Amino acid sequence: MSAPPKPVPLTTVESTETSDSGAQTLTLSVGPQHSGSGHMRLIVEVDGDIIVNVSPDPGYVHRGIEKIIELRNIIKSIPVIERPSIIDASNLNHAWVRSIEEIQGVEVPRRGQYLRTLLNEMNRIMSHLYWLSIYGVFLGHTTMFMWPLGDRELFIDLAEKLTGARITYSYLVPGGVRRDLPPGFAEEAVKRTEYFEKRLKEYDRIFFNNPLFTSRAKGIGVLPKQKAIELGCTGPTLRGSGVDADLRKDEPYAAYPELDFEVSTRPDGDSFSRAMVHMDEMRESCKIIRQIVKKIPSGPIRRKAPIVLPRGVAYGRVESARGECSFYLIGEGGDKPYRARYITGSYRNMAAIPAVLLGSRLADMPTAWWSIDYWPVEADR
Amino acid sequence: MSAQRTAQEEDPVATLAEGLSIWVGKLSDLVKKVVDTGPIRNVINWARMYSLWPVNITTACCSAEFGAASGARHDLERFGVLPIGSLRQSDLIVIEGTITKKMAKRLRVIYDQMALPRYVIAMGDCAMSGGLFHDSYSIVNGAHEFVPVDVYVPGCPPRPEALEQAIIMLQEKIRRSKVYEQG
Repeated sequence: MSAPPKPVPLTTVESTETSDSGAQTLTLSVGPQHSGSGHMRLIVEVDGDIIVNVSPDPGYVHRGIEKIIELRNIIKSIPVIERPSIIDASNLNHAWVRSIEEIQGVEVPRRGQYLRTLLNEMNRIMSHLYWLSIYGVFLGHTTMFMWPLGDRELFIDLAEKLTGARITYSYLVPGGVRRDLPPGFAEEAVKRTEYFEKRLKEYDRIFFNNPLFTSRAKGIGVLPKQKAIELGCTGPTLRGSGVDADLRKDEPYAAYPELDFEVSTRPDGDSFSRAMVHMDEMRESCKIIRQIVKKIPSGPIRRKAPIVLPRGVAYGRVESARGECSFYLIGEGGDKPYRARYITGSYRNMAAIPAVLLGSRLADMPTAWWSIDYWPVEADR
Repeated sequence: MSAQRTAQEEDPVATLAEGLSIWVGKLSDLVKKVVDTGPIRNVINWARMYSLWPVNITTACCSAEFGAASGARHDLERFGVLPIGSLRQSDLIVIEGTITKKMAKRLRVIYDQMALPRYVIAMGDCAMSGGLFHDSYSIVNGAHEFVPVDVYVPGCPPRPEALEQAIIMLQEKIRRSKVYEQG
């Protein structure tokens, strides 16, 4: 295994000549149909193959969810608010029920809190695995496309046992959760997480310690700490820039205060750091799942909550797989909210896309772009 | 005057071209008939039905289940379905979920750029009739409003098994159809 070649300094290849037409830069439209995944368009201006300007063009999946929520009652809205990030459905659902419970003043039983946390962490693993498999597509690494999607099925089966659905659960309802743990779930969860942790070591061997990946990701798409804070990034993107910010620790909710886990940060802020933050979070989530099935208290899983949303204002937020997901909810006494402002992690991280791409080469665009973990459906809502 | 009349009445080139075009037209009809009735049709359809390459266009959240179907457990490649980036080499669009008005225009452009024969699978309730978002202000209620659809897959989102069944149904449809009437 030889060391990756040193990158060529940009000054040696930069062209000073102008083309025949006098134009120095070329504008490319990348997407919405491109060879990666994700239905968004980037308008990229290149000088040679150095990116000098990027402007994202989102909105290809804008479905007006904030308006639809105003037309349905708060229970019927649950499937709708899950759809933006279907691979991370339970975390988004959690933000919604948290804001409702804050207005209603309903306390969730402790067993219900643990079950919510369990599904949230399973979703975090599934979402990160999906991200990793698409990263494989972006980098042309077919093994890394197949493996994470195969291992994701481990947790999909587990979630199907618990909730009855593969990826769209509608499991969290105001006041608690819909179903209790099925028999034999705890043993199965421990078995599967332990197997999965072994698999993560193999991921390291074939992908994360592989020069094929490291030479393309280290030092590419650097987002400095100060810049990440200024742009308002959240989630793995922010933690990959060395900021220790995680709502599970900073503003503990559900069962998180009683669980032992670490927040992973990496100081470099490049694509590799952000990828490693995802890997670390999957390991931590496995630990959390094992703790939950061991420590889960007995008792009721759900407390009766009214379908009415009383007059009041609430702000419910959770740490979803892609960062902070929040609802600003205004109730006016009916069964429908007066207004619901819905902001997701991808929406906040969209500002980082131009920041990581500027100045890099066009060939480095897939690595830098997808390391942000930008899920267009979630950002457009 | 006399030269002009000769050109009009007895131009040998024009006469030949006219005769040839009729003859070629008849020949192409004959070729079509032979291809569509003989075993050649079976061979062509066999090649088409086992190399359905979907273009890499995702419209909404059903793409998660399409990804799962292409992945390790369900592996659509055993049916000859290999997702590919280039739309010139692909012959299938899987419309994965909700189509917004902004996306519908682009989807039609992509459909027009693909080479014949081309097929469309509308995946998910949203691509069939609007589904969960039927009353939204920014979506198109159904893919059939702007592209012809071959197979519909119900579900929100459909399970990967349902998508596999849709692929098999499309293959069956191709197997029974005539070579020159596809796409």
